[in-house]
Amino acid sequence: MRICFFGKMGDVIGREVEIEIPASTATVAGLRRLLAEHFPAAAGALGEARLRACIADAMVNDSHSIAGVERVEFFPPLSGG
Amino acid sequence: MTVILTCRLAESSFDPWEELRQFAQAAQGAGAISSFTGTARPLSSNGEPVDAMFLDHHPRMTLSSMREIVDAAARFGCDYRLVIHRCGVVLPGEPIVLVAAASAHRRAAIEAVEYMIDRLKTDAVFWKREDRPSGSAWIEPRAEDHAAHARWEQ
Repeated sequence: MRICFFGKMGDVIGREVEIEIPASTATVAGLRRLLAEHFPAAAGALGEARLRACIADAMVNDSHSIAGVERVEFFPPLSGG
Repeated sequence: MTVILTCRLAESSFDPWEELRQFAQAAQGAGAISSFTGTARPLSSNGEPVDAMFLDHHPRMTLSSMREIVDAAARFGCDYRLVIHRCGVVLPGEPIVLVAAASAHRRAAIEAVEYMIDRLKTDAVFWKREDRPSGSAWIEPRAEDHAAHARWEQ
């Protein structure tokens, strides 16, 4: 699965990473935990509710399924224009 | 009047005065033209110099968030509206955003500009980073930006 990070998270983790998703990881919440294991330095930020997950250009909550999803994007709080 | 809406994400520097000249030309017949130009400040809010600002954006959602704001400003009855916003690296003094509106009378044009810039400051999909001599800092909207936005929801 391709994971994209914007803003500060893009600087901390990288703007785009490719990660193998085990079958046991079924939701956005599970994905956050998996990413925290891969990127321990960003574990705190990955668990924050204000880091919004986005699938197919729509914000989704933590219980959202990631089955069959090819790309998940993570948005830190917007800074505005 | 025909409705003319322009909404553009600029990846490199643009000339707000030339854009405004073209806008005024297109808006011929309007009795009022109002605009706002935002430029990158040379100093950070803590007084430290800013070497450059980086405006991170989303490949689709940034432009669609800008379009939504330009569309919503229809409520002021202003038929010509323009938003141009930079992304990428912006140097101090360079324009970041140009907002313009033209209408038959002044109130609609002025209010539409205020509305669009207030909403761009909080709702547009951007992430801003200031690169300073001491390091880089990501910026979040200030309380007064949220207050300016809330004003339009009453």
